[in-house]
Parts: sequence; structure tokens; C-alpha cells
Amino acid sequence: MNAPAPPAPYVTPRTWPSAVRIFDLSLSQMLWSRRSVFLAILLGGPVLLAVALRVVSTLDASGFQVNGAQAAGTSIFGMMIWLLYLRFIVPVLGVFYGTALIADEVDDKTITYLFTRPIPRRAVLLGKYLAYLACTILLVLPSVMLVFFLAVPIGGSTIAEAFPSLVSDFAMLIAGLSAYGAVFALVGTRIKRPLIVGLVFAFGWEPAVLLFPGYLKRLTVAYWLQALVRHEMPQDSAVSVLMQVFRDVPSVASSVAALAVIIGLALWSAGRAVEHREYVLEQ
Amino acid sequence: MTTRTRYFVIVSLLVLGVGLGTGLVAYYVGVQGMPFVRHAGPEELQYVPKDATVVAFANVQEIMHSDLRQKLHRSLRMKENGQAELQNLTGINLENDVFRVVACLYADAAPDGNVPGAGMVLARGNFDETKIEALMRDHGATIEDYKGARLLVAHVNPAGDANARSFALTFVEPGLAAFGTTEVVKRAIDLHQSADSGAAQSVTSNEELMGLVRSLETGNNAWAVGRFDALTARAHLPENIAGQIPAITWFSVATHVDGGLRGTLRAETRDDDAANNLRDVVRGFLALGKLQGGSRPEFQAMMSSLQLGGQGKTVTLSFDVPSQVFDAIGRH
Repeated sequence: MNAPAPPAPYVTPRTWPSAVRIFDLSLSQMLWSRRSVFLAILLGGPVLLAVALRVVSTLDASGFQVNGAQAAGTSIFGMMIWLLYLRFIVPVLGVFYGTALIADEVDDKTITYLFTRPIPRRAVLLGKYLAYLACTILLVLPSVMLVFFLAVPIGGSTIAEAFPSLVSDFAMLIAGLSAYGAVFALVGTRIKRPLIVGLVFAFGWEPAVLLFPGYLKRLTVAYWLQALVRHEMPQDSAVSVLMQVFRDVPSVASSVAALAVIIGLALWSAGRAVEHREYVLEQ
Repeated sequence: MTTRTRYFVIVSLLVLGVGLGTGLVAYYVGVQGMPFVRHAGPEELQYVPKDATVVAFANVQEIMHSDLRQKLHRSLRMKENGQAELQNLTGINLENDVFRVVACLYADAAPDGNVPGAGMVLARGNFDETKIEALMRDHGATIEDYKGARLLVAHVNPAGDANARSFALTFVEPGLAAFGTTEVVKRAIDLHQSADSGAAQSVTSNEELMGLVRSLETGNNAWAVGRFDALTARAHLPENIAGQIPAITWFSVATHVDGGLRGTLRAETRDDDAANNLRDVVRGFLALGKLQGGSRPEFQAMMSSLQLGGQGKTVTLSFDVPSQVFDAIGRH
């Protein structure tokens, strides 16, 4: 009589397939959450603004004017990219979604169900990060697209000449969402009250440090991200003027490399935190 | 992934796909040009030979009837003698008889480098051809026939002189006068007569230039487009000055004259670094201008309207000179 074959040794599922499973699970949760309703309202604002500008420029024979001068559509689009998307929407999305990747599961007390699955813990973080990226990209980019087609034809600018800048803006926004999401995912896994810390970082530390000459600004995401923007920075305030005076623009290649390092390091560090940290659920 | 999530992803990707596809088609068509679409710019551009260094346009009638021109006329108390004399001699009333003007410049310097180059002005309007011809013949012009077209040719310096130049006037078609260097006027006649092949030889086939014209013509009643580097190369500037000039390739100016004067200056540079340097220079001048204009409200409004913009290799500067500035000039 033959002895039964020994059971196959247990192999922990690899990180990437596990992350894809978590991504599949998390995308629906993230997309149809209350946070995404707020996101949709946030992204609808620029579209409505672009519609209003288009209506004004169509009805007014002298066109839409900024400081008394007729504004070209490409300038309006560039201004909206700077003021609305780059300085507000992208950091806000990074803060609200990135800090909540693990924190929401802890608050809802559902983290246990994820950590008891036979998958690496870092796969949970990675899968949720990918779901955050997919969710924000699929909402932000169509919003930018609509704003582009509404705003650019104002004042005689053409879609044809502005299209390359749209493509580069898409790449820049994806890079920004990735970098901010990774950084705030790290904040969310290591710090208590990550939302407050994230908001202080995005709207306090970064704008302040960019004003000062020196090397401190290289410790921000905004410094590297702004190098990827092809539009002229708007001169809307004394802060902007100061930022232009002290503006030290790195090359595109070094900015891409720096952002890749930031994303990689932040995700790796967040993954290590998730692997080793004991999450105590409040009773 | 739930069903509605799947639908959302599909719709979102569809919006992106349609938008990117539309933009790609527009970009490709805008670069290549569509043969069955009317060319941008005034129709007189089809009589401008292809290799023009600078092309300019002015909607004379709109400008002459603008509030700004009327205000300047009153405040500067400009004498109307010149206009009246012009009308007496040529029968042309600048206010009503000239509709629009297209000018072109060819920066082909003579060997000694002192002659500015060739050019032509095409004017659309109502002209008393007989009176104008009589005036030119009284001033020594001769009549020549060129491919069936009547040319009035005037020589500035005797033939054989190093600075000998000849200018010609012709009526390309009823209501369209061409005046300029004889060679250029003859080429305009050639373009008019070769209707089918003319388009390929006229400036309308210069896609780079016409792309700029397309972006300028909406909302502006005067504009100019040209190759800055070609102009500076032909100008034979001293080396220490030529080295200071920014690396600008194409330049354009577009203005709208109504109650005030507003418009945009645009420069395309050789590369992004040159554009960044140019922007820095312009920023410096803007700051200086704002400092200087601080004490005068009318200039403050003008300086605050200056907007620096552009992306990549393009630098733009928008301006608005309100009517108060011209009032202030008139008072002084």
C-alpha cells in the first residue's frame, strides 16, 4: 500500500496578485463612498467655472478679460491648472484619500478581516493605494478634459496648439496624485491624527518652504511637481510673485526621478509600517 | 468589481478616450492643414508671396471709426491737412475708402547691407484709379505692362546707382491696390493670375505662419507676424548688440482698437531655456514699469493689465492701454 503523498507546502500568495485582489475589492468601496461624493462636487466646480467663462466670453463681444486685457483660452486653462488642480484639488485628494487608506479600515474595525487573510499585509496597502489612484485618476482627468475643451477655445486659442500641454498636464496630475497619495499613505500608517498632519503639510509646510531660498524646498512634493507644469505660474498675489522670484526650477528628468523616489520610498515605508505595527481597535 | 463600478470605469475611460482622440485629430489636422477649409486671415494673403519675413494686417475702417481714434483726433487736435491733401491728390478718403490693408516684408538685404529689403502693401477699398495713375505719372512714374497687368513704376535712384530701387503700383483686381517693390508687386500679379497653383506659392501655404495668423485673427483688428531671427540676421547689427538679442524665432503682435488699445505680444523662442530667460527679463521690466508708474493712476491701470504668460517655448505678454492714458497724453 502506498503512503499518501505529503501535502504541498503552503506558499504565501505573492504581493502583487494579492494587491490586485484588494484593489478589485477596494475600488468599489472607495468610488461609492461619501468621500467620493465630496470629490465629485470638488471636481465639478472647475467644470462649472469653465462653462460660465465660456458663456461670458460668447455673450460679451470683447471676450473674457483678466485685469482689463482679453485673456486667451490657453492662459485661462493654465491658470485653472495652477490655482485649482495643482495647488488645491491634487493635495486635498492626496490628504483625504491617502491618510484614510488604512485609517478607515481601522476606524470601521474591518482591518481584522483584511489582516487575517493569507496575504502579505503590505499587499493590503498596495491594493488600496492602487484603488485610490484609479479612483482619483478616473475622476480628475475627465474633469480636466472637460475644462480643457470648454476653456481653451476662448479668445481665439486653438485646441490643436494646446493639445500637447493637455497631455503633459495629464502626466503631471497623475504624478502628483501618485506622489501625494504615497506620502499621505505613509502619514496615515505611522501617525495618529494623520488628516490634520496631512493638511498642515500640504497647505502649511509646502507653500511656506517654497518661498524660502535654499534646500528645504527639495523636501516637498510641490517643488518637484511644479517643474512638470508647462503653464506660466499666475501672478495672482504677492505670494506668487515671491515664489516666482525665488523659483528654482529643476529639470524634468530630475523631477520625474525625485517623484519616483518619493513614491517608492513612501510606499515601501508605509508597507513596513503596516507589516510591523499592531493596530489596536478601540472598543 | 461591482456592475456599477464597471460602468463608471467604462464611461470615464470613454470620456478620456473621446477627448484625447478629438484632441489628437485636431492637433494633427491643425499641424497638417485641411485643404478644403478656407484659409485663415484676409483673402489678400493669397497674393502675398510665400517667403515673406513679416506679414501684417489692419482693418483700417474699424480702426478709423473706433472711439480711440475719434478721441485722439479731438484731444491731440491733429491737423486734417494731410488727410485732405491726400484726398485731393488721390481721391482716397482714409476714413471711408480704405477697408483693410495687408503688408509684407522680405528681408533680403542688398549686398551693401544698407537697403532695408523688399516689401508690398495690399489695400482693399474704393480707389479712383485714373486719378492715382495721373498723380504718379506727374511724379515721373512710367507705365509698364507685365503679363497683361498695368504697372506704374517709379525709380527712386538712377539705374546703375548702388541704391537704385524701383517701386510699382498696380490694381490687381477692382478695389485691390498693390504698392511696393517692383519685384514683389510682379510676384503678386503672378499669384493673382495663376489661381490654381498660386496657393502653393503664396504665404497661405506657409503652415507655421498661417497657424499664428489663425490664432491672432479672432477678436483683433490689427496684427503682425514675422520671423524675428530673419530680421535680425539681415539687419547686420554690431556683434555686441546681436549677442544681447534673445533667441526669438517667430514673433506676433495682435491688437484690438476700440475705446482703448488692447492686445498681445507673443514670441516663440529657440528652446525652453531661451523662453525662461526671456520671461525673466520681461518680469524684470514689468516690475520696473510698475515701480515707475506707481504715482500715476492712468499708468497704474495700464501696468496692472500687463500679463505675462505662455508655456514651453512661447512667451506672451497681454496689455491693455485704457482710454484714460490717451486722455492724459492729450492733456500734456
